[in-house]
Amino acid sequence: MIKKLIVTLLLLIPAFLADADSVKFTMSGPNVVSVGEQFRLSFTLNERGTDLQLPDISNFDVLMGPSTSQSSSVQIINGQTTQSVSFSYIFILRAKEEGKFTIRPASIKVDGKVYESNELSIQVVKGQKPQSSTNSQQQQSSTTASGSIDKDDLFVKVDLDKRNVYKGEQIIATVKIYVAPDVPITNFDDVKLPSYAGFWTQEIDIPNQISFEREVYNNKIYQVGVLKKTILFPQQTGKITIDPFEITCLVRQRIRQQRSFFDDFFDNYRNIQAKVVSSPVSINVKNRPSEPASFTGGVGNLKFSASLDKAQLKSNEAATLKITISGSGNLRLIDAPKVEFPADFEVYDPKTSENLNTSNGGLTGSKTFEYLFIPRFAGEYSIPPVKFASFNPASQNFEYAQSKEFTLQVEKGNDDQNTTVTSAYSKEDVRFIGKDIRFIKQGQYKLKPKESSFFGSLAFYLLYLGAALLFTVIALVYRKKLKENSNMQLVRNKKANKVARKHLKVAAGHLKNNNDEAFYESVLKAFWGYLSDKLSIPLADMNRQNASESLEKRQVSPEVITDFIHIVDTCEYARYAPSAVESTKAELYDKAAGLMGKLEKQIR
Amino acid sequence: MKTFFQIIFILFFSLNALAQQSLLEKANEHYTSQEYDQAIEAYNEILNGNLESAEVYFNLGNAYFKSGQITQAIINYERAKLLAPNDEDIQFNLELANQHVVDAIDPLPKVFFVRWWNNIANQFSTDGWAKISISSFILVLILAGLFLFTRTIAIKRLSFWLGIFIIGISIFSYNFAARQKNRMKSHNFAIITQPSVTVKSSPSESGTDLFLIHEGLKVEIKDSLGNWREVRIADGNQGWLPVSYIEKI
Repeated sequence: MIKKLIVTLLLLIPAFLADADSVKFTMSGPNVVSVGEQFRLSFTLNERGTDLQLPDISNFDVLMGPSTSQSSSVQIINGQTTQSVSFSYIFILRAKEEGKFTIRPASIKVDGKVYESNELSIQVVKGQKPQSSTNSQQQQSSTTASGSIDKDDLFVKVDLDKRNVYKGEQIIATVKIYVAPDVPITNFDDVKLPSYAGFWTQEIDIPNQISFEREVYNNKIYQVGVLKKTILFPQQTGKITIDPFEITCLVRQRIRQQRSFFDDFFDNYRNIQAKVVSSPVSINVKNRPSEPASFTGGVGNLKFSASLDKAQLKSNEAATLKITISGSGNLRLIDAPKVEFPADFEVYDPKTSENLNTSNGGLTGSKTFEYLFIPRFAGEYSIPPVKFASFNPASQNFEYAQSKEFTLQVEKGNDDQNTTVTSAYSKEDVRFIGKDIRFIKQGQYKLKPKESSFFGSLAFYLLYLGAALLFTVIALVYRKKLKENSNMQLVRNKKANKVARKHLKVAAGHLKNNNDEAFYESVLKAFWGYLSDKLSIPLADMNRQNASESLEKRQVSPEVITDFIHIVDTCEYARYAPSAVESTKAELYDKAAGLMGKLEKQIR
Repeated sequence: MKTFFQIIFILFFSLNALAQQSLLEKANEHYTSQEYDQAIEAYNEILNGNLESAEVYFNLGNAYFKSGQITQAIINYERAKLLAPNDEDIQFNLELANQHVVDAIDPLPKVFFVRWWNNIANQFSTDGWAKISISSFILVLILAGLFLFTRTIAIKRLSFWLGIFIIGISIFSYNFAARQKNRMKSHNFAIITQPSVTVKSSPSESGTDLFLIHEGLKVEIKDSLGNWREVRIADGNQGWLPVSYIEKI
């Protein structure tokens, strides 16, 4: 029983808390008013309350109030009914004097508890235009006649939060439209945005519906609306001027040209187009101090971290090195920091992902680079610390960060892909890294007098001439010798027959005298001498063998050769054994003379 | 007497050459230690001594290239190329230097046999061709001797036709040598030395502007009149420009 009660109470606690939280008591009013202007100060409460304690508002005249109003709404969503009520107390006040006044919080009792509202400060400026209706009509008629809008009543301004920045530092540019309270704007038209040349831009989302707020500018009250908000990142140095912003507003004006009976009842309105142009704004962009090697373009207040998803893996298994850069700054423009992976890792281009948030504070968020790599071989590897430098405009200095050194234990993978993979990588073209001229020629080389050449020199022609001369001399000498040689042969050849006949004649003399030995010798001499001259074989080298061979070559008939051999044999035989010769000397002589005649005819 | 002077002259040069050789080593050292300005000075000193060689021009061109004076580099590479028309290193560096030349010109196409002829002529320098001519002449003489005194018909026939062929080679290489020598002596090519030159239609300032060429471009000198030269660029266009805008190769 008690337990149940406790549970119920516990369950009820959030309801009480929610209830306590849900009481909202707010005070609202304009933040700028002019002296003598009427305005509403309202207190809103979402519960029924009692005993409203007003703060001190003695600086203002209370013209009316408090008037209370109540609204309630009932919502049924999916069968659940929610009811909300709101009570408001409205005072109409009028400012008495210039100055800045703070209205202390009001308090109210709800169910016996006292709730306090917020504080409100109201600035009261000098009234520039009497708000009384009669006067304003008078004024409006005068402006309407000209059909134009005073430049002070409607203008556009480009506001920059900084004017003097470093390259890459973010600037928030706000385009605001200022409208005097008595100029009714019905619509905007033909908006021409500045091109922001020289900047990288990022828009900040603002509500589509422009909400006007009161603001004092040059001691005048304006309705101010924000048209556009952009974050600018200067990409070049020097003075950059932002083009003017142009907008065409449609302003409703009352026409009072002719007074007619109906004019007092029906107002005639027309829309006039008013083109407003902001004045150009310039920014001075300073260059950063000299950039360190690890700088990849980051400017702003940035944090850097790096992590490896696994420290132990197998070969051919993928791992990821994650680098995160977070903070506020030009995150979009940061390039991937350089990571020095071991040479035989297969590394892919880093995958970049951004988580960015644009707000009035500028561009914030984080940027992540994921380096996917695959170790192809087992072993222990280390990836050196990744360095990251960013420029902080606030401190005007580079800030350095670096990760720890990552060590990787790569084990041999089960699947033996190593060989196939390496074979695909083993051949590649020679990579050209740079181009340069070839190096100078070293070593010894001949220097020659200018424009001198071997060609056309004296030596050149002399060489030609000398060679020709030498050739002629050699040719002549050789030719002469050859001629002499051949002459001797011819003479001997021609004389051979004569000499032989002479020898035979001598032999005939010996035959008569019966001088046997001399006879044979003369016959032999006649033959050997003859053949020696005819066949150009020296007498000393003559023998039967080479004589018969030479004769055969010269197409002498075989019978003649056998005859010749027979005579020579007979003669030689007879010289040493004269008695053994059967044929007579006279016969031999006749035979010899006949053979000589045949030889002379047959030898060519 | 004349030959005596010639000998003295050659002797003087050989002594001079010895002195220049050490200067050359010094220049090469400067280049190696990347003191390009000193290297340029030293190389120029050698060349001022009335001595030259393709290698010195090549090295000087390299030094100019390294110190950023591309036009001077091109001039010296071209000079080196005249002396050694078939050197691959010179060709390579000249091409690299020519990439810095602004003007892109399509050379007039030549008929294939003219191209072949030029290619053959550029295979050797003047002296190379001269040596070929002489040695082939001597070979012809030997073959003639063989032809005259041999008794074997086959050798006679062979030596005859071979002799005819080689005497042709001798004559052609003589011609090539003469041609190379002429190219070297005539200096009818030049390099533009001014950043930008307007080429006129006639040799006067009032001539019509024909075309604009830039530093480093090679032109052929066709004619001259006073201080004006008629030049022709590789695509066949011709015009006049002042002589001070060009430097002869």
